[in-house]
Amino acid sequence: MTDFLAYFHTDWAAMTRQDWLGLLLTVFVFVLLFAVYWWVLSPRNKEKIESHRMMVVDEEEMNAEIESDGRKK
Amino acid sequence: MQAQQYNFQVVKWFAYMAVVYLVVGTGIGVYIASELAWPDLNFDIPYITFGRLRPLHTNAVIFAFGGSTLMATAFYVVQRTSNVRLWSDKLAWFVFWGWNLVILSAVITLPLGINQSKEYAELEWPIDILIAVVWLAYTFNFIMTLSIRKVSHIYVANWFFLAMMIMIVYLHVVNSLAIPVELWKSYSIFSGVEDAMIQWWWGHNAVGFFLTAGFLGIMYYFVPKQANRPIYSYRLSVIHFWALTFGYVWLGAHHLQYTALPDWTGSLGAAISLAMIIPSWGGAINGMFTLSGAWDKLRTDYILRFLVVSLAFYAMSTFEGPVMAAKTVNALSHYTDWTIGHVHAGALGWVAMVSIGAIYHMVERLWVTKIYSVKLVNLHFWMATIGTVVYITAMWVSGIMQGLMWRAYDAYGNLAYTFVESVEQMHPFYAMRAMGGLIFWLGGCIMLFNVTMTIRRALAQNSEADLTAAANIQGVQHG
Repeated sequence: MTDFLAYFHTDWAAMTRQDWLGLLLTVFVFVLLFAVYWWVLSPRNKEKIESHRMMVVDEEEMNAEIESDGRKK
Repeated sequence: MQAQQYNFQVVKWFAYMAVVYLVVGTGIGVYIASELAWPDLNFDIPYITFGRLRPLHTNAVIFAFGGSTLMATAFYVVQRTSNVRLWSDKLAWFVFWGWNLVILSAVITLPLGINQSKEYAELEWPIDILIAVVWLAYTFNFIMTLSIRKVSHIYVANWFFLAMMIMIVYLHVVNSLAIPVELWKSYSIFSGVEDAMIQWWWGHNAVGFFLTAGFLGIMYYFVPKQANRPIYSYRLSVIHFWALTFGYVWLGAHHLQYTALPDWTGSLGAAISLAMIIPSWGGAINGMFTLSGAWDKLRTDYILRFLVVSLAFYAMSTFEGPVMAAKTVNALSHYTDWTIGHVHAGALGWVAMVSIGAIYHMVERLWVTKIYSVKLVNLHFWMATIGTVVYITAMWVSGIMQGLMWRAYDAYGNLAYTFVESVEQMHPFYAMRAMGGLIFWLGGCIMLFNVTMTIRRALAQNSEADLTAAANIQGVQHG
């Protein structure tokens, strides 16, 4: 085994319950982050997400758009 | 439409106290920096020795100045972007007085040597409980204000504020778990290497969430607002948020390279630190590119200068940090003044500059007036910039020299220099650092004078009721 592979060697039999919990949580978060990036960077969602760019600059316009029920569309 | 009644009174108090604490906190910093250059300045008085005043300095600048700025801006931004008043005025005032009580407690206990010896978490257990209660009240009021918002989308600045609030609850409570043995003495429930790991899990995330995520919330509101331009890319801001939120919590172990911690923890910390350059630079670029097509504003807009220079320092220090986390570089930089230089590039260049820009922005709008003296703001800008550069340059040279002297050895394997020799070589740089800090501090004094005069003039011209009504109307019409 090379030094490089030895560095990543894992003794799976020695994994405790906490180790498995941490590992699964880490993989879950990684997948979740990947899904977020996919959703954000998808061209289909560009217009929807970028529509919020003007929110701070157009506070006056934003306020005018607030509907009678008190919520903006 | 009818003018929305905001609670700007509590924002005003937090904003003004932030400026006061900027002067106090950096003033203590200048004094202890001078003590390192000229040790006689401790006058053999235990209460003002470096060991007692250093935690007071860090607590004053991080939690008093930084905390007050975060509370002022979060309460300001959440009202403006949600188009509602704060959920509870009473809770907001409880946060104001509670936070100032925490600061007062630090001012009394730290010079007396009452200290948990946990970096950036020195305050003893009764004060830790008070911090938790006040911080939860702040968080709860913020969340409830979001829950009654009149705008469906939660603007990204609020996401950053919220991430900071939630994570600080978690970090502060876990790191402060201790067994009290008497009123002003407790012992951490963690010991040995676990204690070190928890300490730096807290320590680096205090940087990552308190001093980065919260101040990015400030950046995402005040940069586009002051430039009067939409943020460059909202998609980039979303990626910036999620990558930073999930990434930062892994970094703490890079503070503990070459220690008793398992080797892989330091490697993981270093690897994730390097990966964090991507979202950090994404955020910095997002802020800077907001000025695309409007760079000429920097020639005339004194507030924008603070905000943009802060982003340059943010980009610089978020590159420098990961480089220092890498084991090879860390072997040279750790325990040296390079670390102090890096911290102050972030603290003075990023955190203080973006805060100062935001506070100048708010002062004009909260008191519905123009700043007392634009010339003084310009002077402040140059003093803050020059002071920061002098400080960090001195520490870079000093730190790298220290690292090289400590690791140098002769042909027989003996150390080439004694520790005292390295200390002797540091003296000119410690004096230079004190001068850099002094320049920065004088800039803060100018700001305090300018802001005080602006408020006095505004109050002399208008009654408080008029100012409140005008600020609220302005909030709706111009934002």
